[in-house]
Parts: sequence; structure tokens; C-alpha cells
Amino acid sequence: MELHLGSYLSWYLPDQPSSLAIHLDSPIALRELVERLKLPPAEIAIAAVNGILVSLQDAQVSDGDRVELHPPNGGG
Amino acid sequence: MAYGTKGRILRIDLTQESITIESFDEKFYRLYPGGKALAGYLLLRELPPGTDALAPENLLVFANGLLTGAPISASTRFTVAARSPLTGAYGESEAGGFWGPELKMAGYEAIVVRGRAKQPVYISIHDDKVELRDARELWGREPEEVQDSIRHELGDKRVRILQIGIGGENLVRYAALTNELRHFNGRCGMGAVMGSKNLKAIAVRGTGRYLDSAHDAQPIADLGRTLGKRVKEHPQSWDLQVKGTPALVGAFNAAGFLPTRNFRQGVFEGADNLKWESYETELLTARGTCYACAVRCKREVRVDDRYQVSDAYGGPEYETVEGFGGYCGVDDLQAVAKANELCNRYTLDTISTSVTIAFAMECFEHGLIGLKETGGLDLRFGNAAAMLAAVELIARREGIGNLLAEGSKRAAQAIGGDAHLFAMQVKGQELPMHDPRGKVGVGLGYAIGEHGADHLYSIHDTLLANPDSIGFKGASPLGVEALPAQQLGSAKARNYAILENWCSFGQVVGLCYFGPAPRSFTQIEEVLTAVRAATGWDLSLEDLLQIGERATNLARAFNILNGFSRKEDSLPERLFQPLENGPMAGTLISKPEFERTMDELYRLKGWDPQTTVPTRARLRALDIEWVAELLEPVVAQRATQGTCASAAGARAA
Repeated sequence: MELHLGSYLSWYLPDQPSSLAIHLDSPIALRELVERLKLPPAEIAIAAVNGILVSLQDAQVSDGDRVELHPPNGGG
Repeated sequence: MAYGTKGRILRIDLTQESITIESFDEKFYRLYPGGKALAGYLLLRELPPGTDALAPENLLVFANGLLTGAPISASTRFTVAARSPLTGAYGESEAGGFWGPELKMAGYEAIVVRGRAKQPVYISIHDDKVELRDARELWGREPEEVQDSIRHELGDKRVRILQIGIGGENLVRYAALTNELRHFNGRCGMGAVMGSKNLKAIAVRGTGRYLDSAHDAQPIADLGRTLGKRVKEHPQSWDLQVKGTPALVGAFNAAGFLPTRNFRQGVFEGADNLKWESYETELLTARGTCYACAVRCKREVRVDDRYQVSDAYGGPEYETVEGFGGYCGVDDLQAVAKANELCNRYTLDTISTSVTIAFAMECFEHGLIGLKETGGLDLRFGNAAAMLAAVELIARREGIGNLLAEGSKRAAQAIGGDAHLFAMQVKGQELPMHDPRGKVGVGLGYAIGEHGADHLYSIHDTLLANPDSIGFKGASPLGVEALPAQQLGSAKARNYAILENWCSFGQVVGLCYFGPAPRSFTQIEEVLTAVRAATGWDLSLEDLLQIGERATNLARAFNILNGFSRKEDSLPERLFQPLENGPMAGTLISKPEFERTMDELYRLKGWDPQTTVPTRARLRALDIEWVAELLEPVVAQRATQGTCASAAGARAA
């Protein structure tokens, strides 16, 4: 799957990538993926899978998905 | 005893060709410590209501803030204010860069310009030496050339130059000012006011130091070092530096509230071409910054491909990327960069320019204007070439550009029919690229804001939705509540009012929106430390909020004297209609709920909900009871004339 990290979510990962390619053997909960990557759930305001907005709590992701995560964004 | 300023205002009358310096005392500065507060005070005190914005009598105020030029990141902003030719209301616009700090080093807190020069001039300031110089040869020339010429003429490469391009000269009602070619006082048409005065530029050189005027320099210097080290260790400031504001395109598109095709839609199918990743590969050459700021959020660009984009005028920020991008239905980032370069070269506000062009596109698609009116331009959404041609026509006031240079509200009145439904403006000023259907507090700001639609009146709801987020924690000293972004109601009104005061305080003292929490990395307590050190005043956080609230009340009073009331505090009807596509398709703002929230907001502010006049008690609490003396006779007269009849009836009911 392809994971895109918007705005400052990249900051939490080593090397601060804005996107990652992740291989998944089987579908997992998006929440579990976030925990594995050590991303703080409180900083995830927008989660979308294949262009559809999803709940961080309920969504499942599979290999081949395009996942976008964004933090709370202000103005400017 | 030093209290953060030299206490001097430079007054220039271009008609009389007179230059004087006026001093103010510490007691005055406590109430009006620069920026929006000082400008609001001067305009309210000195500009007769009803003055034509483009007449010589209009006052053009350039005001630094208390912290402008302090060696702390994000302390660079200055205000330009006047009666706005776009809105007829109090007009102001802030910019960063280097000019404001340089003016501070020259020993001035503000410049007040009135009158009109017989022929084009520029003002040269070198500490105490101030003179008017001939600018006839500079009129009509582009900012890069003008900057080089003035520096050559003055024999000083370090002089900082604030100027207008042809947009200001041609009195485009949303013309901007530029300093160092890359930093803009974009909003409210302050560049047109400058053009109406035949004033091409203000060149400044100062040899003082900010810290010489500070009560206690050490805490300020220490904070500057701390923030310099923190930039990359804090997610929000890291983001501003590495990705910058263009990162917002992807976030808003995913969320479904990216302003698209004149606020009809919330998702743009071509957004991938406009995202930060594309910006980095197609445009970006380097990151730039403002005076003493370690955030480095500015973008440098150059393109030599489908379009030729000069590297002289800086890169587009989010507002511009989306304004000339999805908002006009254009998915070519190079075309967007070209539109940005043209606006910067001609000194046009990119928000009002792009939104006015999108307005024209919708009129064109509905047949309200045709090829005859556009001079053959096929002005449909998505036509990048037509969009760029429209920018050129606006700057020169040629063809359809002469109409669009008036702004979308006036253009809609001239076109007639349903055109007014497509003009996305408040008080005549065009909406920025934030859709209140996704964050309703931004809509409260658009409606109630004194200078028309603006996205920087308060903090966006999205930062305050999760109590465990960095944004919310940053704001928590202000006593705000975690609330869903799309929720209206009394709690939202309270959040808005508190945060409006906080943002207004920033515009008084010269702080950039990208400095303090909750938008960025300087903690609220640290701001308080800096202000206390600069002034020696024993201020509380409540005092800072009151400074912000006082400035807002001055601007509100200015508007009331110029005939504004509740009816101008409204949103375009389209925002009460459903979004057409994407994950938020069908979402709208409930008008009754919005109006009830506005009622609560007026109550919290201590303003009459119909006339919006601040109560004497509130003005007294803000130490500006003198404003009530200005307002009460006018309000009484209007009531007698019956213009307040409906308001009185509503109150009686």
C-alpha cells in the first residue's frame, strides 16, 4: 500500500518521509498501522483510503490501497 | 525608561510637501502599542467619515508593532491601513519581510501619509533624514527595476523598499504593496490608495537596534535563540519550513472542503498536480525568510518550461496555489506560478484577483458575459491561458480587466442579473481559500471581520477539535474548549471571540500568524515574556487579549461611522447551499444557526446585535470611552432618521 503523510505527520517518522510504500500480507486496522508507525492518533484529523474519508478507529487497509493521513491544519 | 519604542510618528503631507515628526508618550502606547491599534486610532481620530478612499484626504498609515524587528522568529510584521477603496470600510493589510524592522531601526513607529503629490514621488528615510524625491522616471516601471534604481540613486544596496507596481498606479481596487519584491500587504487595496497619492515607494534605512529601545534586552535575546533552535524540533514550525503552506492543498482536498470552481465544489480532480510534492519538483528552488526568522516558510521558485517564471518575485503560497488552481479549475502548477509572478510584478492581491477571475468565469459560463465583453477570451473554468490574460488586463485596466479591477462586488452590480450570486465576497472583499462549510468559525470571521473576508481574524476550528492535539494544547492557556470544526453555537462563538482577540493582538504587536501557538511553535507564555521584556509593563495574558479587543473595537467604530451595520456582517448565499461533490457533498451551513451564533458573538463582544455599536460600558472597560462620544451622536441621528427603525423594533420585540 501507499501511505501519504500530510503536513507535519512526516516529522514523526525517521527521515521524515512524505510518503511510504508498505507491504501488507493481509488487511489490518488503520489504527494498528498508525500504532506500528508510532504516529500520535491525536494529530490525525483526516484519514482517507482510496479517496474516501474514513474513521481512524474503524477503517481497514489492504495492500494496494492508497492511504492519506493529515493533521489538523490551520490557516495561512 | 525604555518601553519598546522610540515613540515617534513621521507625518508626511504630499500636497503640502511637508514632513514633521510627532512624539507620543508611554501612556498612549500602552493603549495603542502599534500595528492595527495605532492605525485604527489614527484613522478613527483623523479621517472624516465618508472620505473617498481614493481622494487625497484619505490617510495612509504604515504602522509597526511593539515587537516588529525584535530578534525573535516571526516578529516582522507591519500594518498598512486606510479607508479601503475595495470595501469602503476600515482597510488594513499586514506584511512581513524586512521593511517594517528597517523602519523600526530608523526610529519610527509609524508613517502617516496624506494628500496627493503633484507628480510621482518616493519617500526616502535614512534615520532622521527624510525627503521626498522625484519618481517620475519610476512610474510605470516594474518593482525589480524600481528597487535597483532607487538603491543605485541612493548609493545604498541595503536600503529596504516598499512600493507599488502598475496595479497600484492604475488604482485596481485590490492592488497590493510589495517589499523586497517578495512580501506583500495584499488585502484591502492599500496599493490603490498609495497610487492615488502619486506615491511610488518608501525607501528606508535605519542604523538603530531594536534592543536599544527594549526595557530588558536579555529575555528577548534568549527567546530568539531558543526559538531558533526549536524550529526543527517542533512539528508545526518544521512543517512550515519543509513543506510550507502549499501542503494545505492535499489536506483540504482529502477532507472535501478545498474551495473549487468558485466555492461550488470541495474536491478538485486535478489537485494532485497542485500538491506540495508537485510544487517541490516543478517550482521550488530554495526557501526564503523574513527578518530574523528561523521558520523560513517562504518559497523561491523559477520555471523555464511550459511557462517562464522569473525568480525575482517569490513563489506562490497556498492561497495563490489554490486560488489560481482548483478555484479557477486550473491544474497546471506552472500556470499558477505564472499567475503569481504576474500579480507580484503588478502588485495585485492574489486572493482578490483569482476570486474575481473565477467570478467572471462563472458569469461567462452562465452567459451573463460573452466573448464580446471579454474581448474574445474564452473565460471558462480550467482555461489557464485566459486566466493569465485576465490578470494582464486587470493590471492595465484594459477591456474586461477594467471592470474586474473594480472587484467582484462592483463588477456583479455592473453585470446585473444573477451575477451577484457568483461574487464570493464580504463587504466587497473576496473570500480566501478556506471553506466555512468545513470549518464554520472561519465563516464567523469572514462575516464579522471589519475589513471584509479574511482568513486570519481568528484560529481555524480544525486546530481546536482534538483536546490532545498540539494545536489545542498550544491554545489551552487562553481557556478555549475543544469543539468539532463544523459545530456552531454559543461555545463556538466564545472560542471565536477569545481567539480573535489573540490574533488581533498579534496584528497589533507585529507577530506573524506562523509564530505563536496554536498555529505554530512560540508558546503563549513566551509571547507574554517578550512583551513584558520589551515594555517593562507587568502585563497578564488577559491584558494582551484586551489589547487585541481594543484594536478590533476601533476598527468597528470606524465602520459604524462610515455607515456599516449588521447587514454587512453576512456571508455569500452560496455558503448556505450544499457542496456539490466529494466526501462533504451536501454539506451546508444552517443560516438560522449561523445567525444565532452571530447573535451570541455580538453579545460576547458587548455590541448591539443590530447596529453592532459597542456599548459605552465595553468601551470604558477597554479604556477607550472616547469612542462612545464619537458613536452616540451618529447612532442617535440615524435612529431619528429612521435608519435604525427595524433595529429598534427588533429590540422592542
